[in-house]
Amino acid sequence: MSYLEYNAKYVPSGLRKPLYLNWPIVLLLTAVAGIGFLMLYSVAGGSASPWMEPQVKRFGVGMAAMFVIAMVPIWFWRNMSAMAYAVSLVLLLYVEFFGSVGMGAQRWIDLGFMRLQPSELMKIASVMVLAAYYDWLAPSRTSRPLWVILPVLLILLPTLLVLKQPDLGTAILLLAGGGAVMFAAGVHWAYFGSVILAGIGAVVAVFQSRGTSWQLLKDYQYRRIDTFLDPSNDPLGAGYHITQAKIALGSGGWTGKGFMQGTQTRLNFLPEKHTDFIFTTLAEEFGYIGASALLLLYALIIVFCVISALQSRDRFSSLLTLGIAMTFFLFFAVNMAMVMGLLPVVGVPLPLVSYGGSAMLVLLAAFGLVQSAHVHRPR
Amino acid sequence: MIRTPLRPLARVLKARESGENPATIEAENKRRRHDEMHDRAKNRAEGRLLVLGAVFFLAFSAIGLQMGAMASSEAEEPRAIASGNPIIGQRADIVDRNGRILATNFDTYALYAQPQQLVDPEGAAARLAEIFPELDAERLVKDLTGSRKFVWIRRQISPEQMQAVHDIGEPGLLFGPREMRLYPNGPVASHVLGGASFGREGVDSAEVIGVAGVERQFDQYLRDPANEGSPLELSIDLTVQAAAERVLQGGMMLMNAKGAAAILMDVRTGEVISMVSLPDFDPNSRPLPLTTGSQSDSPLFNRAVQGVYELGSTFKIFAISQAMELGLVGANTMIDTKGPLTWGRFRISDFHNYGPQLSTTDVIVKSSNIGTARIAQEIGADRQKEFLTSLGFLEATKIELSEAPSGRPLSPKQWSEISTMTISYGHGLSASPLHLAAAYAAIANGGTRVEPTILKSNQLQQGPRVLSPDVAAEAVSMMRQVVVRGTASFGEVPGYEVAGKTGTADKPMPTGGYYEDKVIATFAATFPASAPRYVLVVTLDEPVETSGTEPRRTAGWTAVPVGAEMIRRIAPLLGMRPQVDMADLTGVTLTSN
Repeated sequence: MSYLEYNAKYVPSGLRKPLYLNWPIVLLLTAVAGIGFLMLYSVAGGSASPWMEPQVKRFGVGMAAMFVIAMVPIWFWRNMSAMAYAVSLVLLLYVEFFGSVGMGAQRWIDLGFMRLQPSELMKIASVMVLAAYYDWLAPSRTSRPLWVILPVLLILLPTLLVLKQPDLGTAILLLAGGGAVMFAAGVHWAYFGSVILAGIGAVVAVFQSRGTSWQLLKDYQYRRIDTFLDPSNDPLGAGYHITQAKIALGSGGWTGKGFMQGTQTRLNFLPEKHTDFIFTTLAEEFGYIGASALLLLYALIIVFCVISALQSRDRFSSLLTLGIAMTFFLFFAVNMAMVMGLLPVVGVPLPLVSYGGSAMLVLLAAFGLVQSAHVHRPR
Repeated sequence: MIRTPLRPLARVLKARESGENPATIEAENKRRRHDEMHDRAKNRAEGRLLVLGAVFFLAFSAIGLQMGAMASSEAEEPRAIASGNPIIGQRADIVDRNGRILATNFDTYALYAQPQQLVDPEGAAARLAEIFPELDAERLVKDLTGSRKFVWIRRQISPEQMQAVHDIGEPGLLFGPREMRLYPNGPVASHVLGGASFGREGVDSAEVIGVAGVERQFDQYLRDPANEGSPLELSIDLTVQAAAERVLQGGMMLMNAKGAAAILMDVRTGEVISMVSLPDFDPNSRPLPLTTGSQSDSPLFNRAVQGVYELGSTFKIFAISQAMELGLVGANTMIDTKGPLTWGRFRISDFHNYGPQLSTTDVIVKSSNIGTARIAQEIGADRQKEFLTSLGFLEATKIELSEAPSGRPLSPKQWSEISTMTISYGHGLSASPLHLAAAYAAIANGGTRVEPTILKSNQLQQGPRVLSPDVAAEAVSMMRQVVVRGTASFGEVPGYEVAGKTGTADKPMPTGGYYEDKVIATFAATFPASAPRYVLVVTLDEPVETSGTEPRRTAGWTAVPVGAEMIRRIAPLLGMRPQVDMADLTGVTLTSN
């Protein structure tokens, strides 16, 4: 049920729309991307190529896309949700069956000017379709089992496709992002409680079964878990990333070594230094202060999103804004936790900072939706 | 629970009665219901948001706290955990009799790669191939780009090479500290020392194991940490050893020999002061064993210990000594030397015809096969075998070298009378030069058996008596005559009273019979003759002396000059003073008024 039908007061239109944009979020996004540019410049050894320059261009394109999307009324995007989800799913299936061109499996579709990862699109499309679903569904039915199974299927279908690629990071994001939308939409506690209990039970079963005749995982999988729990077991093998990242953070200390002074990253000790592990460069060069400043910027973006969601009386808008905020949160929380050894290495980029086209464009487009919801809120 | 009706009928009816418009009441009721619904949904949504907010907050706190904990931690370099037992280093040194270093340890590094950590494997392979030209570049590329996790590149590298590899700047190229064995004198005493190589190898250290010579023989002692600081003391004298090697090397080239051996031994303690075998090698980089041909041609082969040869006429002194000991002959007994001596289908002849008779001394001085064989006939097989056994000729020497057991002498299975006769002049029984040196030492020291040793010992050996002192002295004086007026006349070194015996043995062909033009030339000497202290055995393999009109191969022309030169060089090094005859003082009177 939409509250738009009631109490409609004033909705900005025409050239007035830009005035009603959520400007704090725009500024925060630019600040985060700016930190990213600095880091890419530093990682390349003080050079705009090969990473900073394309990243700046992509950010420009992404910001333009964000403004265009923000100008389009939010109810148009709500009506497009099912379509967006269907298209993403088809593309995901397409790369699943036709993507294996050349060496190994391919996760992307080459559009000529950029490589599009359908899994990135799906992160947003799934949030959209769930928000639209709960906007359409009467609140009284939200917790009925039949009406719970449908969104669960909507989440699980792309998740399984992405897991097959295999891309564990994206699968976690899809699962948790979708779950967050369902939770915010008001699905009964019991469903989440049972899922969490089942998860805990599975973890306990996995550990209890180790060494017994009904062992659930293979030995090497247990070894990976061991390495995650204590990377010092295998500092030069599977624990290498974590150990090196820890060295970077530890040697950065509280104030850091200074811009372009980080040795861990500059001396190539860290693989993925410009993508998933770029946070270590920041932590090494600007120390705890720099790292927590970035964390604060991210937190502010989330806070502004949540405020916007609370202000909105439109169910689709709030759920969409919350879902996107949650996805964004998962991006950087998983990445930071992974870099700092709180989570296993799953391959999630640091949003807007890590080098990479698809993730940045899709995230900025998602914030375009957030802006659209903000702009077209009745006031 | 109080149930409120959907429509406020009571109020509507009341309003109708009082004439009010019931529609406003209905509208108001509807708005109130909608507000309630909205509030419920909003409350629920806010509750959910609170939970999500708490999740956000917890996650932020966890990340922030971890960040703080890591920022305040000390960066620690990752290290691979040592696997298994640490390999014990610090092998004991080996020193010569005067405490000079023959073998010691040297801290070096091994180079290995972890290809997974290489930034540019192909570039690294190319640079490594430049630094180590002996490496196979293609193989290196394959190893470094493959899926292997660990590749040894070099077992030991020099500091210069290490710096060059360091300059490549690859994080995947790593150095492992280790100790290596260093022989600072290079090839000097190579056969005695043998050499060492790596056993179990780890990244952090490597086990050094002896592979030959004393390194292998005393491996357990050298690696035993309980002997910390106490080196292995050898009987070798580094100075004498180096001089002997130089002289023998020169002599071998001059005499066109393909191999040579020399042993200098103290006649009373049995200590081997110098042991040379040529060709030699550098124990710092031991050559590989030969894959074709005879191992006895390898530089690794210790001719002095492992080489068993028919040593020819040097054996004659044993037959003569035994005959004198048995009272069969005296120094001046005349022996029938009319040749040739035929025994069955065998013919024994001399190098020259020495006439019908020679004194026992002259049989030795002129080296008469016929005379010696006749004396051996008198001794008989059993007594000869017994005597040679007492001198150690029928078993391998007990010298403390890992190669010693392979120097087992070859003796005839059937010790027939003809064997007795040929063995008396050095054919039919093969022994190593070291056997010969030990047996000569027994004669030179007055008649007691000595066992050769490579370890320093200051004790005189009290071996079993094999000859009476008188006979031993007589034998030495006969050998002195060999040098003064016999076959070893080139062996005279003024002032050192060299006594000795030559031996020239035809080399046996592998197919049976003997070569006409290949000999083993041996000079066994002791000096000074008046009170013998050292025995020197020089053996040349296939020497040819070509300064004359026709090639000369006899020991008198080949081994003897080399031996004399050696004595001339090493006697002063041994601290011996030449006994110079005083000049005739007639006609000069030294008086002081």
